Amino acid sequence: MNIALGLRLPVLLAARKQDSLAATGSWRWLWVAPIVLALLVTTVYPTLFILGLAATKSTLGRPFGDFLAAQQIIAALQDSVFLSALLKSVTYALLISVVQLALGLAIALLLSSLRRTGRVLLSLVLLPLMTAPVMVGVAWKLILAPAGGLLNGILQRWQWIAEPVSFLGSPSLAWWSIAVADIWQWTPFVVILSWAALATLPDGVRDAARVDGARPWQCFRWITLPLIAAPLASIFLLKLILSFKLFDLVFVLTFGGPGFETTTASFSIWRATLEEFDVGKAAAQTLVYAIVVALVTLPVVRLQRRLEGNEQ
Amino acid sequence: MIPARTSLWRAGAVAIVLAFFALPIAYLLSVSFKTKDEILSGDFLPQTWTLDNWRQAFEAIPLTDFVAHSISMALIAGIWTIVITLPAAYAILRLNVAGNWLVQMVLGSYMAPPVVALIPLFFFLKYAGLLNSLSGLVLVNGLVNVPVAFWLLTPFLRRIPIEIEQAASLDGARPLRTLVSIITPMIAPGIVATGIIVVILSYNEFLLASTLSMGDASRTLTVGISLFQGDRLVNFGQMAAASLVGILPVYFVALFMQRHLIEGLAHGGVK
Repeated sequence: MNIALGLRLPVLLAARKQDSLAATGSWRWLWVAPIVLALLVTTVYPTLFILGLAATKSTLGRPFGDFLAAQQIIAALQDSVFLSALLKSVTYALLISVVQLALGLAIALLLSSLRRTGRVLLSLVLLPLMTAPVMVGVAWKLILAPAGGLLNGILQRWQWIAEPVSFLGSPSLAWWSIAVADIWQWTPFVVILSWAALATLPDGVRDAARVDGARPWQCFRWITLPLIAAPLASIFLLKLILSFKLFDLVFVLTFGGPGFETTTASFSIWRATLEEFDVGKAAAQTLVYAIVVALVTLPVVRLQRRLEGNEQ
Repeated sequence: MIPARTSLWRAGAVAIVLAFFALPIAYLLSVSFKTKDEILSGDFLPQTWTLDNWRQAFEAIPLTDFVAHSISMALIAGIWTIVITLPAAYAILRLNVAGNWLVQMVLGSYMAPPVVALIPLFFFLKYAGLLNSLSGLVLVNGLVNVPVAFWLLTPFLRRIPIEIEQAASLDGARPLRTLVSIITPMIAPGIVATGIIVVILSYNEFLLASTLSMGDASRTLTVGISLFQGDRLVNFGQMAAASLVGILPVYFVALFMQRHLIEGLAHGGVK
C-alpha cells in the first residue's frame, strides 16, 4: 500500500460510512423500484401468464377458458411440425453463431492489422447492425428474387443457370438465404466486440513471438486466441442469445416456407397466436421453447464464467 | 515491415468484405431509381434513372406518418429506458442497493426470445387500454430494452473511480445529487451511446409493433414496410424506396455518432 493511500484511508472509511448511511433504510429501494417493476412486467408476469394460458383453453378473444392441465403441453411435445421447428431453431442458432463468430473474428483481425484504416472501416461495418431486420429482409429479397433479382440476373448472364432459381422458394436454399442475410446483419456485432477485445492486447507479446520466428497462424493460435478466449466466450454467448430471437428475417424472406421448411419455434408460436388465434397452444409452445432456449444457453453461460474465472 | 504480398492479400480481403456489406444497400438504392420495366431486368444499375418510386412510395402508404410514429415512439421509449436503468445501475453498482441477484435477473431476462412475452404483453396492453396506441408501444419498448441499457451502461459506471463519489459524499452531496451532477456528466458519452442504441432498437423493432399496434393510426415504419408484401402489393421499386426512407436516418445518426456507438458496444463486450 502506498503512503498516499495509507493517509487517505481513514477519510475513505468515513466516506464509505456516510455513503452507506445515505443509502440505507427503506428509501434505498426506491433506486431499484423502477427496474424491479420493469422485470415484473417483462419477465415475471409473462411467465405466470404463459403458465396460466398453457393450462387452459384460451383464444385471443377469450383467454383462460376450461382448465386443461398439461394437455396442451403434451400436445406441443407430440406435434411433429413444432418439434421440427424447435430443432431447426436450436440448430440454426448454434450454427449461425459459430459461423458469425469465426467470420467476425477474422474480419476483426484483418481490420486491427490495418490500424487507422481499420478504424475507419469499422465505422462502416457498424451500419448493417443498425439496419432494421425488416429492411435487411427486403434488401436481400430483392437480391434473391427469381424475377428481377440481382443474383439470378448475374448467374443467367454468366450462363451458369438457364432458368431463374427461386432461392427463397426452394426447401434446400431457403435456410441458406436467411443465413446470408443474418450473416450480413450480425457479423458486424462480432467484428466490433472482437476488435475491442483485440485492442486490449499488448503489441509486445506478438511482436516478440514474430521476432522469434512464429508464423502468423502460430501467433494467432498460441498467443492471440488464448488471450481473447474469455471475451470470445462472452461474444459467443451474446450472439447465441440474439440468434434465438430470429423472427423478422423469416417473416419477410420466407414467411416460414416453403411449406414449413423455415418455420422456427418463434414463427410457429406467432402463427398459432395470430393466424389460428389459439393462444393456449401458442403458450404451451412458448413454454417448451423457453425451456429449450435455457437448456441450450446455460452451458454456454457456464463455459463463459469458467473462462472469465481463469483469467482473473 | 509488411511484405508487399501480404498487403496485396489484405487489400483483396478488405475489398471482398466491403463489397459484401455494401451490396444489399447499393442494390436497394439502385432498384429504387429503376423504372418499372427495368426492375425485372436483374441488372445492377438502372439504364434510365427515375424518381417515380420515391414519389409513389409516399402515395402508396402513409410513409411520412409511419416515420413520425417510429421516431417519436423510439425517442420517448429510449428516454424511458435510460430513466429506469441509470439510477438502478448506479445504485446496484455503487450504493450496494440490492445485490448481484438483481444484476443476474436483469441480464438473465434478456435470454428469453421476445416471442415469449408477446402474448402476455398483448393482454397487458389490452387490459391497460393501450392496445393499438403509440403509448402502448412506448411503454413496452421502453421496458424490454432495459437489460440492453443495463448491459451497456454498467461498464461506464464501473470505470469511474470510487474516490470521486467519496469526495462528493464528503462534501455533503447525497447520492441522488452525486448521480445527477457528477456521475451523469462524467459518463455522458456512455449514456448517449446507450440512448442511441436503445432508440434504434425500438425504431427497428417489428414483432411487438406488428402485434401490439394494428391500424394506420399507430403503425410504425417496419410494420408499414412489411405491408408492401401483403394486401397492398406494390412493386419492388417502391418497396426499396420506402425501406431507404427508414434506413437512411439511422445511417446518418450512426455515422455521425460512430465513435460513441463503437465505444459503447465495445465496452460491453470487454470489461
